[in-house]
Order: sequence, then structure tokens, then C-alpha cells
Amino acid sequence: MYISTNHITSIRKNTILGIIVLTFIVLVGRLYYLQIVKGPRYRDIAEANRVRLVPIEAPRGIIYDRNGLILLDNKSQYNINVIPFELSHTPNTDSNLACILKLAREQLSQRIKNNWRGQFVPIKVAADVDLATLMTLEEHKIDLPGVYYSIEPIRYSPSGVHLSQVLGYVREIGKDDLLRVEGLGYKKEDLIGWRGVERQYESILRGIRGYTYIQVDALGREIGRLRDRQNLPPQPGNDLYLTIDRDLQLLVESLMENRKGAAIVLDANTGEILSMVSKPDYPPEVFSGVISAELWNKLRTDPDQPLYNRATQGTYPPGSTFKIVAVLTALGKKAVEPNWSVFCTGQYRLGRRIFKCWEAKGHGRMNLHDAIVHSCNVYFYNLIRHEELDDWANMAKLFQFGKVTNIDLPSESPGVLPDVAFLNKKYGENGWTDGNKLNLVIGQGDVLTTPIQMARFCAALATRGKLVQPHVGLKYFDKKSDQMISFEFKSDSISSISSSSWEFLEQAMFDVVEMGTGRAAKVKGALVGGKTGTAQNPHGEAHAWFIGYLKEPQQTIALAILIEHGKSGGGIAAQIAGKIFNFLHQQSRIQLVAANAEPLYPHN
Amino acid sequence: MLNRYIRTIKKITDSLSDTHTIILVIVAILCLAGLITLYSASLFDPQPFFRRPIGRQILWVLVGSGVAAIIYYLNQKIIFVSTYFLYGLGLIFLILPYFLGARIGGTARWIGIGSFGVQPSEFMKVLVMLAIAKYLATTPYSILDFKALLFPLFFALTPMVIVLKQPDLGTSIVYFGLLFPMLFWAGARLFHLFIIIAPVLSIVTAFNFYTYFVWIIIIITILYLTHEKLWVSLTVFLLNLVLGSATPLIWNHLKPYQQERILTLFNVEADPQGSGYQIIQSKIAIGSGGLFGKGIGHGTQTHLKFLPEGHTDFIFSVIGEEYGFVGVVFILVLFLAFLLLCFYTAYRLKDRFCALVIVGAASIIFIHVAINVAMTIGLMPVTGLPLPFFSYGGSFIITCFILLGLILNIAGGKQY
Repeated sequence: MYISTNHITSIRKNTILGIIVLTFIVLVGRLYYLQIVKGPRYRDIAEANRVRLVPIEAPRGIIYDRNGLILLDNKSQYNINVIPFELSHTPNTDSNLACILKLAREQLSQRIKNNWRGQFVPIKVAADVDLATLMTLEEHKIDLPGVYYSIEPIRYSPSGVHLSQVLGYVREIGKDDLLRVEGLGYKKEDLIGWRGVERQYESILRGIRGYTYIQVDALGREIGRLRDRQNLPPQPGNDLYLTIDRDLQLLVESLMENRKGAAIVLDANTGEILSMVSKPDYPPEVFSGVISAELWNKLRTDPDQPLYNRATQGTYPPGSTFKIVAVLTALGKKAVEPNWSVFCTGQYRLGRRIFKCWEAKGHGRMNLHDAIVHSCNVYFYNLIRHEELDDWANMAKLFQFGKVTNIDLPSESPGVLPDVAFLNKKYGENGWTDGNKLNLVIGQGDVLTTPIQMARFCAALATRGKLVQPHVGLKYFDKKSDQMISFEFKSDSISSISSSSWEFLEQAMFDVVEMGTGRAAKVKGALVGGKTGTAQNPHGEAHAWFIGYLKEPQQTIALAILIEHGKSGGGIAAQIAGKIFNFLHQQSRIQLVAANAEPLYPHN
Repeated sequence: MLNRYIRTIKKITDSLSDTHTIILVIVAILCLAGLITLYSASLFDPQPFFRRPIGRQILWVLVGSGVAAIIYYLNQKIIFVSTYFLYGLGLIFLILPYFLGARIGGTARWIGIGSFGVQPSEFMKVLVMLAIAKYLATTPYSILDFKALLFPLFFALTPMVIVLKQPDLGTSIVYFGLLFPMLFWAGARLFHLFIIIAPVLSIVTAFNFYTYFVWIIIIITILYLTHEKLWVSLTVFLLNLVLGSATPLIWNHLKPYQQERILTLFNVEADPQGSGYQIIQSKIAIGSGGLFGKGIGHGTQTHLKFLPEGHTDFIFSVIGEEYGFVGVVFILVLFLAFLLLCFYTAYRLKDRFCALVIVGAASIIFIHVAINVAMTIGLMPVTGLPLPFFSYGGSFIITCFILLGLILNIAGGKQY
């Protein structure tokens, strides 16, 4: 076939060939760039595309009391998650889900919007749903594409004890905390112990979050597990045993119910805290799951400060309980003889000021022993004038007042112990007088102590100078090494106080309970010593103090009770102490009977 | 009996020149690679084999081979004579979907024959090419005269406008793009080609002030350098200036849905997950293939459906992911060899019609390959052009085989 001639210059042909070749060179060049130069980067992206890490939350360690009774356990909380992409691509799913969750549709879409992290990233729309809801959800699973539930372990307290501020709580880790615990492998959204034991023993209790790797398709749907990668199982935290005695704790909490104050019961020889209560408190369930903003704000702004551990953080004037310091100073320095006496008329005049005794009509003639038993202020006003302030302060320093006890709970307050230097600094060298001394000797004025300091002080009195470090941590079960590890706490002792002083003081403290101001703490058949205190304060009624100890054959138990605005230490505080001592005495009698019981053999 | 078979086969092979053999081998390799890729891309398709893209594609390739064989043995005279008639028929079929076609995915480009959908716009690519070739071979005007270009322009623009309305930007680019190599081959003046392309560029560049500014300067420079008659230059210049300036104004006066319609031209397979999702996933697929690829059936981007349109427009990404750089370069080299062979053959031919048919056919393949690959590697916006011999689609694969048949027929050892 021929129609017309194919006129084509070789320049035109070559131009076309050139354009084609050039195009291919550009394409190959670009492919080289994508596949060879950027290849590794794109491989990573492709990998990230298909692999999704599904975190599996690890339960925190269980917290037991000293006898192995559970104080704080974990339970499973069921959360409902949705994948927005799938939800939006199937009609009616959202209204169905909203109906099941008993939410308005707008509420549901609002929650999705608030937590939006991407088309394919699951969003938690409901936390802690009940089993009925969960079952309804499972029944309608086919009609609810993109709706899944996940299990999250949360804290719960099965025992009924509060122990709120001691146990503390966990919360989602914040930005600042992330910096604080850098290098420990925490990630955003991890939970971290925030208060109390949960914070103090975080490293022991903390569980390590596990992951499963799943392969997902472009729609984020699970295609299967990745064969080339090992799943990381979650590692539950180690179980922790506290020194708390659950039964005693329950008792003390019930005794302190509807009051403000703190109570600490500890083993005087070891410093193990058997019970620690700070009222008002809150049930630990409050923090088990997601706390509502409303409840959180209520707890935070409550003027009675339920989140605050009065036992370790609250500082109070110790009142008459502190007279013991002056007694020990007098006996040690031989400032006066024990039978040196003063006639109490109910008041004491210093210059133009009048210092009153709590007994307005006066105690009459008092020696050192009687002054302790009846807590006569006038006697101590006289006594302190025979003592150097620094001698008195040094005696208090022997008991570590003004310093933290190093209890294993965070944010302890050190209190205040004034000495000459302190007063000089605060008031100027001539700014203070013997009047300050008179206040200090009866535990008023600038001296401030925490209930835990008073409890430790009391324990030292009960053990003739053994200065324990109070603690709530007993031991923990280390899952890695598969063994129980006990915590070590160091204790100190005071040797500069003579045994005659101790004997004198002990007798006086027994008599306080036997016939003095602390009669309410008396337990029939038990050896109980104590000292009451009534601390004036500018905020209202006086705070009531009672410190005391119970000497049983096996152990010595010390306690400190503080009732804010409890009027007088001989009243409510001593009564509570009496109930506690009674309980402990019965308990130890039962133990004694049990230990000495003869085995019964069946009769033939 | 056996001898007869052998003799028949020998006769067929003897009738093939070396060029033929090479072209056939290349196409065979491309088809095979295409089928393997498709096989891999539909590996986890739960449907029975012949309902999967791979099964169907095998059928299409067989049908296509038959069609190519028929065209190969067809007398060139018949092709030459029936060209205009077929072109007219093609135009009718092209308009037909607007009246009775099923609208698939909001586009009117299919007409149903039995249970199969046919895309007339694919076959129209061949017919446009043949019509232009025939006209340029028979025109009484000198090719240097602009009048000689008017009919080819009409042949290309009429189906282009119809297809643009469908909307199918890719195919209309093929119709329009086809013009240039053919006119250039026929010896048209560069200035005339410039006049044809200028309005398109004026409209496209007008959306950005700087590109438009540069474009105007280019127009002025070209007009100055070509020393055309003043009135011609002025007309061309003013026309483009007015067109470019009017474009943004017209655009802003369009209703949003009209703007939407035009915008869909530029992402024909409407982008489901927001801007650039397809291209991004395609680049990830290709890039992650590295030097040697992940192996057949191991492309995670493909099989986890991150890659959209893995067996049609984005099949090249599957090649890139599973065969790697080595694989894609191998495929591209085959295409290049195919094209170079075609153009050399066209250069050798005495007859203008024959040469233009080969040039046109090769250009269609070239435009598809270049735009498809450029699009999958992010050098061009998504326009929705398939990759010859690879992408799944009956109408398109048969069109490719028709082109192959034409090339083999005309390039043949048979001298006329």
C-alpha cells in the first residue's frame, strides 16, 4: 500500500527518540531515589503501616496487710473502644452504640471528638461498663463493627478498710513526672503511684505493660498476629506486704469515724506501724478507675482536706504530752529533785503576765510524779525556770523532734523544735523572755510536732530509748528472684538517759492512766502507760492528744492519738486509746492462750 | 499430522521479521510479568480463580491475542478505507453511555454488552490515531499550512471533550497528547504545535500568579523569536492573555458543585482518605521495595490494602514493592526497547500512513507508560491512566493488543 511519502527528517526522529529516552531516564532516576536512596525510610514507614502495637496493661502488685490479708487488689475494668473510621462507614452503628451505652448520640460523638487520635486509632468511649452492658454489646456484635471492648486492671479494695492516705493512689503520668522518672521506661499514659505507698513503693508495685503485635490492613482491621515478632507479655507488679494489721486498722478507723485527726499504732520495738488513720479520709474505690472531675474537685477543695495525711503531714502543738521532755531534762541535769514540790494555786505569775493551770482551782502541793500524773502546768512553769532552754531543746532533739522520722511515706513534715538559736532568730536576741519558755514547756508556742513523731516518741519512752524508724512497708515478694524480701529499717537508741530516770518516768506514766488524766485509757489487767495533752490553738477548741503504750509479754505497742478540736486529751483521745489497747490486749491474750493450749486427744 | 502443524508454525514464524520477533518477545514478557503481578495482587482474593482479576485478565489476554492476530492478518487497505467510518462509529459509541450507560462510580464511561462492561473510550484511542494518520496521509494541504492541522485537531478534540465530561482526564490527555508526535512526525511547524498547546497551558498556569507570569514571558519570547506575521503573533498573544486572565474569574463564578466536577478531573478515582493518600501509599510501596523487592506475594502495602487500585492504575507500585528497583528498571527497559523499535520501524517505512499509524500506536503506549509511572512515583497528579499490558481491564488490554496487531501488521516483513 502506498498513499503518500513518509517525509521525516532524522532530526525530528531523533528529537522524538530523545524525548522518550529522557522521560525514561527521569523515571528511572526517580525510582532510584525512592527505592535505593530513600528505600530504608520507606521500608520503616511500610512496617509502621502494617504493625500495630496493642498494649496490654499489667496489674500492679497486690498490697497485703501484715497477716497476708488483702488491702488493695486489682480487678478488671471493661472499657468500650471504637474505631472511628469503621464507625463512620457503617450507618446506625453510632446510634446503636449510644443506645446500648445509654448515652445521647451527641454525647458519644463528643467523646469521640475529644479523644480523637486518628481514623484508625481506637478511642475509649466508655470506661468501667457493667457486665449487662457488655453482654448486650456482645450479642449485637455483628451490628456494631468497629466497636471493641478492652480490659484494664484497676485497683479495688475488698477489705473495707480505707487506709486512704497511706495507700495513696495511682494516676496517669504527667509531663513533669516523665522527666522525673526518665530512664525508667515510663511512657505517656502509663500509670504511676502518686501518693502514699503507691508512690513510695512504685518501683516494686509497678507492672510492666506488655504488648501484642498485630498486623493490620489499610482499614486498621486486625489481620492476624505477626509471625516474625515475639509478643511482650505484661509483667504484673510485685506483691507488697504492709505492717498494717487489717483488723486493728478497721477498729481504729471506726473509732475515728466522724472526727478530724490522726491515730498511729506501732510496735515500739520495731517501728512497724500496725495502724495509721487520718480522718477525714475517702474510700479507696474513689481512685480505682477514672475519677470524675466533679469528685476530684470535691476531694481537693474540701476544707477538711481528706487527701492530706494528718498523721505524717499535719503539724500540731504537742500540748502537755511534751512535758515529758522537761521531766527527762530535769532528771538528767538534776535541776531539781524528784520530790521537789510546788504548790499549785491554779496560776503562775511571771512579771505582769499570769500563766494559768488547766485546773483553775489549783492542784495543791505537787511533786514531779504528781505533776506528771495530773499534768499540772504550774509545776512545770516553775520547773522550766530551773532549766536551760537549750538543755530542754537538746533533750527533745534526742528524740529527733524537728526532723522527719523518715517514715516510708512521701511528703512528711519535720515539725518545729525551737531552741535558743531559733528564738533568737525569730524574735531577736532580746525579743523573747522566760514567757516563751513557759509556753514551750507545756508544748505550746512555737513547738510543732506531727502525730508520727509523737508516736515514735512514745515508742522510745516505752522501750527506754529505742528510736525506731516508723514504717508501713514490711516485705515484698520479688517475682524475678521468686523470693520474699524484707525491708530493712535502721533504728537508733538514746543512751544518755539513766535507767532511774526511765523508771521514774514509767511509773509516772502508768499512774497517769491508773489514776491521773489518762484514766479513760485504762485496760483491766494490762500494763498501760500514757500521757494526755490538750493543745490550745487559735482555730477553735483545743486539740486532744494522747500518747501511750501497752506492755504485753510479747511486744510493746505505742500509739499516738490526735483529735482536732477534741477539747481535752483526757477525754476522747484517751478513750480511743483505751479501746485500742483493750483490743490489742484481748488479741494478745488470745494469742497467748492459743500458744499455750494443750493439744486435745480424742478419748477412747 | 504433526508435520502439518510444524509446517504451519514454520510458515508463521517465517512471516515474522526480526523486528516482529523482538516486539512479540517483549510483549510476551511484559504480559507475563503483568499476569504474575496481577496474580500476586489478587493472591488473597477469596473469590474463585476466574472471578478474580487474574483469572479474568488471562481471558482478556487470550482474547486480545486473538484480536491482535486477526488485525495482523488484516489487509492494510481495509484498515485504511474503513478508518473514517470506524471513527464515526466510535464517536457514536462514545456518546452512547450518556443515554443508556450504567454510571459506574459517578462516571459515564461504560456501556454494557451482556454481562461485560465495555469502555468505548479505550477503543477510541486507536480510532482517533487512525483517523489522524489517514487525514495527514491524504490531506491536499501542505503540512506547513495550519489548515492541514485543523482536521486532526477536530479528530482529537471532539472525543476529548466528550470524555472530559465523563469525566476522564487521563483518556482525554491521551487523545490530545497523541496529536503532537503525529503532527511532529508528519512535519508540522513547531510554531503551529505551540499554538495548539498554548491555550491549555494558559488555563493551567492561570491558577497561580507566578506560573502564569512565567508562562506569559515564555509566550512573548517564543513569538518574538519565531518572527511570525505581526497580526498572527498579536492574535495568539491576546487570545492566550484573555484566556489566562479569564480563567480565575470564570472559576470563581462557578458554583461549588461545578468546581467540584472540574476538580474531580484531577483525581479521577476520587481520593477516599484525603489529599494525596494514594500517592503517599504508592510511594511507600515502591520505596519499601528497595533494590530487590519483597518477593512475589510479600508486598505488605499491597496485600494489606494500603495501596489502593493495586491491580489497575497502581499496579506499577506492586511491581516496585515486590520486584524492587531491579524489577521496575527491567520492565521500563522493555517498554523503552519496544518504543524505540517502533519508532525505528516507522522511520524506515516508505508510506506516510503506515509510519503515522506506528508512531501513533507507539505514542499511545508511551503516554500511558510515562503518565502512569510518573503518577505512581509522585511526579504527576493522579490522572487515572492504566499501564499497558499490566493493568487489569478488558477494554484496555484489548486496545493494547489492537495496537500491537496494527504495529505488527504495518511494520511487517510484508512489503507493499
